[in-house]
Order: sequence, then C-alpha cells, then structure tokens
Amino acid sequence: MEKNEIAISVKDLHVYYRDMNRFSLKKAGLKGKGSGKLFKAVKGVSFEVPKGQILGITGKNGSGKSTLLRAISGIFSPDKGSINLHGNSISLLSIGVGFQKRLTGYENIFLSGLLLGFTKEQIEEKLDEIIEFSELGDFIYKPVSSYSSGMYSKLAFSITAILETDIMLIDEVLSVGDVHFKQKSYNKMKELISNDDRTVVIVSHSTKTLVELCDKVIWLHNGVIKEEGDPQTIMTKYEDFMKLD
Amino acid sequence: MKRFIRDLKKYKNYILYSTWAELKSEIINSYLGWLWLVLEPLCFMLIYTFLAGVIFKTKVDYFPVFVFIGLSIWNFFNKMVNVSVKLVSSNKDTVTKVYLPKFVLLIEKIGVNGFKMLVSFVLVAIFMVIYKVPITWNILWFLPILITVIVFTFGVCTIMMHVGVFIEDMSNVVTIVLRLVFYLTGVFYDLSTRVTNVVYRTILLDLNPLANFIYNMRNVLIYSSSPVGMWTFIWFVVGLLLCILGINVIYKYENTYVKVMK
Repeated sequence: MEKNEIAISVKDLHVYYRDMNRFSLKKAGLKGKGSGKLFKAVKGVSFEVPKGQILGITGKNGSGKSTLLRAISGIFSPDKGSINLHGNSISLLSIGVGFQKRLTGYENIFLSGLLLGFTKEQIEEKLDEIIEFSELGDFIYKPVSSYSSGMYSKLAFSITAILETDIMLIDEVLSVGDVHFKQKSYNKMKELISNDDRTVVIVSHSTKTLVELCDKVIWLHNGVIKEEGDPQTIMTKYEDFMKLD
Repeated sequence: MKRFIRDLKKYKNYILYSTWAELKSEIINSYLGWLWLVLEPLCFMLIYTFLAGVIFKTKVDYFPVFVFIGLSIWNFFNKMVNVSVKLVSSNKDTVTKVYLPKFVLLIEKIGVNGFKMLVSFVLVAIFMVIYKVPITWNILWFLPILITVIVFTFGVCTIMMHVGVFIEDMSNVVTIVLRLVFYLTGVFYDLSTRVTNVVYRTILLDLNPLANFIYNMRNVLIYSSSPVGMWTFIWFVVGLLLCILGINVIYKYENTYVKVMK
C-alpha cells in the first residue's frame, strides 16, 4: 500500500465563517439562523503531507493559517472538501487545555491528558517524565492557582510535549518560561519535531524557525496557496513580498 | 447513535475524572467544603417549610420530606438547564483548542448535578426515617422515576445547549421560563389538592413533566401508592426522543459552534 506513506491529505478545503456573533432573539425572529455575512477564510487548499515530513505554513495575518490548522485537528468542520488523516492520532499543540485551576498540578496532568484523548495508563507511564521535565518539584502537589505564570506554562508545556501523537500541529513554536527553560523547551520541540516517525505541521511567521526546522513550506495568501516548496526559497520570496506590502 | 456509544466509551474516563475534578474543586474552594452539599438543600427546605407552614398555612403530611423531594428534582433540572444554555461558551478555552464531542460536557454536568441530587435524596431518606414515614414496596419505583428525570433533563439540555450557542440572549429567556415553571410545578405546595378543577389539574400535573415527576415521586416515597397514570411513561419516551434528536443535532452542528463563538 503506497498510500500508507501519506499522513495527511487535504483536498480542496474550504472553511467559511458566518458573521453570527451578534446574534440575538430579535434577529433570529426576523431571519433564519443560516443568515449572516459569509467570510471565506480558506478557499480551496489542497496538499499532502508524507509521513515524517515537517511542513511549515506561513502567510500574513488573516491569511487562514490558524483556521487551516484547526480544520486539520478536527475543531472546525470543512464547509467543502475533505481532510484525511489515514488513521493517525493528532493533536494541536496548545497549552493548558482543560485545566481546573483549583486542583493540583498532578491532578491536572490527568485532566488535560484524558481530554487530549490519552488513556490513564498512557498518562501514568509518562507521568514521571512530565513532572521531571516541568521542574516543578513538590509544587506539583499544590493547586495550579498558586503557581506563578512561568510555572503554569512550564507544566502546560510539559504535558503537551511529552504526551506525543503521530501528527503534531503547532501554532507558533512555543518557548516558555525563563531563559533556561526557553532553551530547554525549544530543544525539546526540535527533538519532537525531528523524530522521523512524526509528521508535523508548523504555523509560523519566523523565517529562522521555518528554515531551521521544516522540509517544505506552504505560503498561504488570502485563503489560497500562493506558493509552496523549499523553505529557503519560499521564505526569501515571502520576506520580499512583505517588505513591499 | 453508534457514534454516540463509541464516543461515550472513548471519553468515559475523561467524563469520570472531570466530574470528580469539578466536584472536588468546588469543595476545595469553599470554607465548609463537603458540608455545603448537605447545607444547601437543607437551608432551602427550611425556607420553604417556613413559607408554606407559617405564611400560607398549608397542611401537608410530612411537609419537610414533601418539600425536599420536590426540591431535589427541581434543583437538578433547574441547574442543568441554566448551565447547559451557556455550556459551550463557558468552556471556550477547551472547545477552541481541542476536539471533543460536545455532549461530553453535558454528561459531565449531569454527573456533577446528579451527584448533588443523590446527596439530597440521601437527606430525604434520613428525614423519612426521622418523620417515621411508612415505607412500602412502592419505594422501588424510586429508581425508574429517577431515571426518567435524568433522561428527560438530558434531552432538554442537549437542545438547550445547541440553541444557546446560536442565540446569545437565550439564557435570559430561560431564567424567566424556569421561574414560571417553578411556581407551576408545586415544589412547595400540593398541586393535586390545591387545584380542584379537573381540566386545569390535568394540564398542570400531567402536561408539565416536572410536576408529574415530583408528584409521582412523592406518591411512591411518602404516600405508599404506586405512580399514577401513563404520563410519566409518556414523558420518559418524549425524553428519549429528545435525547436522540439532541445528540444528532449536536453531532451535525458541533463543529460550527467554535466558529460562531469567535
């Protein structure tokens, strides 16, 4: 089966937003609920990511990068087109999901982990690694509400970084905490990303990150792919384009 | 429906753990901790007993037990509906970052409030002993009625959760409607003896599912009689249909919830 080599296929993807945030009963009575202005965030994007590839997505603000990422992770449904993950597990790397701030860090590891779709056994297996990586020591048994913001993000980062999935989606490379932890978390990210079995999609503005980490870059512009190819070439063009703007 | 069962299995552990986590964090946060689970229903019972006994001079046998049963069921329904209207937006942080079937959030709340309802029924049991309420086999009807209450509430809440996402001011409407239903439900007075007109009585007692549940729950627990009429069963079926409808609607639209909330 040749197809096994492909981890993500996106075909002619469209994602639309309807302007519905100021929706009240009055309006609902007058119109149906399908009304509202249509905003097309992603308009017909197709690409395939082979297993193990690191794909970068860049583009100016509002070009549909994050929307695309969320659609792949399953938070949004496509309005048209399809996304096939070929049975791989996937996670959008985001920190502090589902935390209950009054509970201890220890309990929140489970809460967040279960929410991300891991089993209790999987979490228990990685538990020590998470606690060690977070450098929290005994604070892990204290309520998260008593943490400093640095400690909070350290814990959150450790959970997402150590509970791994086949496909990782990253919205801006995260580096959190003080200088020391920043370096450590960046290295961890690099380690995670460069694992040969893992397929990664990174959304970023930073030329440095994309050139350093990615095998291929897609440049999104107003919801469509403007160019794709070798990171260095694309990023040079992208930067020139942004300067002109 | 198959998908519902599969997702239920997949998220079983999360539901259990988050239910426990929410209960625990509520308890940690308050000074009196676990005591509030008991104190809250107890205080409301005292208030209504005072209102009904002193001001309205109602005469109902075993009045505290009578009120307590009404309150247990009413509070469960009331809290669930209120919370479900705002459920998706109050979980914005989670919902925008990770996919999870949205009914999972609802089941977690059923767990939290269901637990509170059980605590309050334990108090009912204690009061039944204190007031020496005669106990008969009819008490076994307790479970079917309780299940009906939960199924019906879940059904209503799936719809409420869905509608609440799209209509911002829905929670205001819900608050008003719930208040009306509360007075119509006979939580602290006896509908069956107060309303003598047969037509009105049928409407108030049978067509209002909550009044019906509470009425029957009192019948089996206090008055040693079997539940009356078809209506509880009819509402059970309606509740089931609402659940199926609600779950399907949520599955169909849940991925647009996040877009709407932006």
